Amino acid sequence: MQKIMIIEDDPVIRDELALLLENEGYAPLTVTDFSDIPEQAKSSRPALILLDIGLPGKDGFRLCADLQKTVRIPIIFVTSRDSSLDEIRALGLGGDDYITKPYHIPVLMSRIKAVLRRSGGAAEPDVTEALGLRVDMAKGTAQTESGKVELTRNELQILACLMRRPGEIVSRADLIETLWENRIYIDDNTLSVNVTRLRKKLEELGRPDLIKTRRGMGYQL
Amino acid sequence: MTFREYLSDRMERLIIETVFAAAAAGFLVAAGTAAGVVVILLIAWLATAVGMLLFDYYQCRIRLQELWAVMDGLDEKYLFAECVTKGRSIYERKLLELSRRAGKSMIRAVSDAREAQREYQEYVESWVHEIKTPMTAAELVCRNADAKTRQKLLPELAQIQAHVERALFYARAGSAEKDILVREVDLAEVVAQAIGNHRMLLIESGIRVETEQIEQNVYTDAKWAAFLLGQLLQNAARYRSEHPVVTLSGRQLGKQVQLAVSDNGIGIPAHEQPRVFDRGFTGQNGRARGGSTGMGLYLCRRVAGCLEADLWLSSEEGRGTTVTITFPAKENLTKL
Repeated sequence: MQKIMIIEDDPVIRDELALLLENEGYAPLTVTDFSDIPEQAKSSRPALILLDIGLPGKDGFRLCADLQKTVRIPIIFVTSRDSSLDEIRALGLGGDDYITKPYHIPVLMSRIKAVLRRSGGAAEPDVTEALGLRVDMAKGTAQTESGKVELTRNELQILACLMRRPGEIVSRADLIETLWENRIYIDDNTLSVNVTRLRKKLEELGRPDLIKTRRGMGYQL
Repeated sequence: MTFREYLSDRMERLIIETVFAAAAAGFLVAAGTAAGVVVILLIAWLATAVGMLLFDYYQCRIRLQELWAVMDGLDEKYLFAECVTKGRSIYERKLLELSRRAGKSMIRAVSDAREAQREYQEYVESWVHEIKTPMTAAELVCRNADAKTRQKLLPELAQIQAHVERALFYARAGSAEKDILVREVDLAEVVAQAIGNHRMLLIESGIRVETEQIEQNVYTDAKWAAFLLGQLLQNAARYRSEHPVVTLSGRQLGKQVQLAVSDNGIGIPAHEQPRVFDRGFTGQNGRARGGSTGMGLYLCRRVAGCLEADLWLSSEEGRGTTVTITFPAKENLTKL
């Protein structure tokens, strides 16, 4: 599990963010003593630091500079200050990304993933396998023992989203939101159409009932 | 000032002088001065009078031209009296003195008003930053809450955010040059950011968003452009019809890039279209639906102005609305 250090002085944000990161499979480290953060970072060695700018004592900019001097850990600034100057300053000081509050949680998560990936952390695999189905994101194909089909971008993302949580019910709303994150801006009807097409292709592979509809709840693999 | 204007201004004095000269000539003739001498005297007087008149006219004219030049060269016209050279006559000097005093009181009023405006703007900006922390906390709490509460609360939070964002950009538009950083940006990124910002509302409205040829580079400020696009997307969601679709399509137009945001919504009546960009204007759609502030498109126009982009709206009732943004070519930018 990758450790993520949260440097944030608002207790509600700090604790809720920690909870959220935990649910996403990270190990959050919350900082409550802001006096010697570089030392704390050095001893706990997080994979990533989420840094607020408005902090008691030293502000985030100075902290970032101090952190860069002692340890080389990727830093994402998370702040309510959204002027261009602040952003340039933050990135100039060695920040890896700059997100303004109030952020959309999915956006924050994907930025965290992106920074971790850049810094050589766990990359998302190109190929996922579940329930005897093999999906290659790079090539855009789905494969079973009985054959191989090509999928469209939409079908690929729908299948990938379901395959990340095999056995779980994924609600239509969650599915749509995940697709929108991947810049596929579809509505409810289009989702149904895409799922139908996807089922047809899976039928060719001999898996007609791989995607189950759970009435009123969503889809399940 | 033409010579005729100058003459008519001096007419009173000229008449008095002529009457006085005629009376003096009559007196001299009656007192036995030879007519020839009187004629010579009159000619000499006339020559002097005309000479002085012309000299005075030219001097006045030169001085006025000087003053006009000063006025034309000034950005802040009310500083005029402070910037002119000292007057020639005591009368002019006194007039300028009066004008200077009036100007001073004006300058004080203007700087007081500016200061008040600046303080107000600073307060709004800092308020917006303050509110963001509790809003972020609320969103996080909401994400970790049960699905039902989340589904009810997230759209409300998204709306609060949209309102706060408008307030921030409204406060900032007055001094936009401090924050705007025009550079080459990927239009697709700006579009994705704008859609991402309003994802909640758009999904909730059941909208399908289509993009065409947005993989282009434009010269603009990504944050401000995303705000502008966001307003248009919000309108598309707010005034949608039954199967709402929004299309964002890019187009190369010479050295400029155009982005058209079209929806298939309820449209705007023709007679209201000229006023949609006015501050506080809410058409019949806005009134019928409620909750319209008349600020969205007004802000769009202001922001477009700050970005040196053109904004053009066309709409047909019952068919939909298209807003076209024309981003400036690099060569035409005054701030880069």
